[in-house]
Amino acid sequence: MPQFSQIAFLIIGSIIIISALFVVLFKELIYSALSMVGCFLGVAGLFVMLHAELVAAAQVLIYVGAISVLIIFAIMLTSHRTGDLRLFFHRQAWVAAPICAVAAVALIVVMSTADYNATAEAQNPGDEQIASMLFNEYAFPFELVSLALLVAMVGAVLLAKKEENR
Amino acid sequence: MTPLQQYLALSMALFFIGAWGVLARRNLILVVMCVELMLNAINIALVAFSNYSPTGAGRGEVFVFFVFALAAAEAAIGLAIAIAMYRLKEKLSVDDLDEMKG
Repeated sequence: MPQFSQIAFLIIGSIIIISALFVVLFKELIYSALSMVGCFLGVAGLFVMLHAELVAAAQVLIYVGAISVLIIFAIMLTSHRTGDLRLFFHRQAWVAAPICAVAAVALIVVMSTADYNATAEAQNPGDEQIASMLFNEYAFPFELVSLALLVAMVGAVLLAKKEENR
Repeated sequence: MTPLQQYLALSMALFFIGAWGVLARRNLILVVMCVELMLNAINIALVAFSNYSPTGAGRGEVFVFFVFALAAAEAAIGLAIAIAMYRLKEKLSVDDLDEMKG
């Protein structure tokens, strides 16, 4: 059984990393967006492996369903042509790559050698317990987040609206 | 490596791929997409900690729901800015957003 979860982790992890690299490297924005959908689905698979089925379902609904469609709509509304290929990467990209690689390697080494006092077996509780935590202990942050969503919705409408008197 | 450390290593790799995308690409929509990748990396770390923590089981999952809501808000605002910028300037490179340069 641990053998199986090990293999599943390797497969899903490589799907996530490869599709995330393709998001950055593809020249066509729409290919990047589709590769990002693959990455989100892989993350949902990881959530299932971590016994967080509710989070996995929400990941599929929100990221794969809503945010990806929003991004693909924005791509179709804005880019008519691929544009100048010189403008594909920023000129700071070749400095940023080694810095990001060094930071990633450093953090991976630190995080894989630290002792977390972690349990070996899964601890994530069932959906009922998550829901009761969300609506009892974390009710106030929950309401604040809904307020933030409302403000973001009004702001997005205002920003994307055509201005008549200008 | 214990399973928790594997998940954290994957999360950090994904986070820095997203960070590289934010720094490297010029297109505003792609920058928004890479920020979403970074938020996903943090969600993996939160759920992994929640799953293997002896005391705080499930709290990480609750925080992931807040991150979901704020990621949706961030995507909506970012793409609205992209559409407004495209309408104003007919291009989407982040280098053209320099009106507030001092």
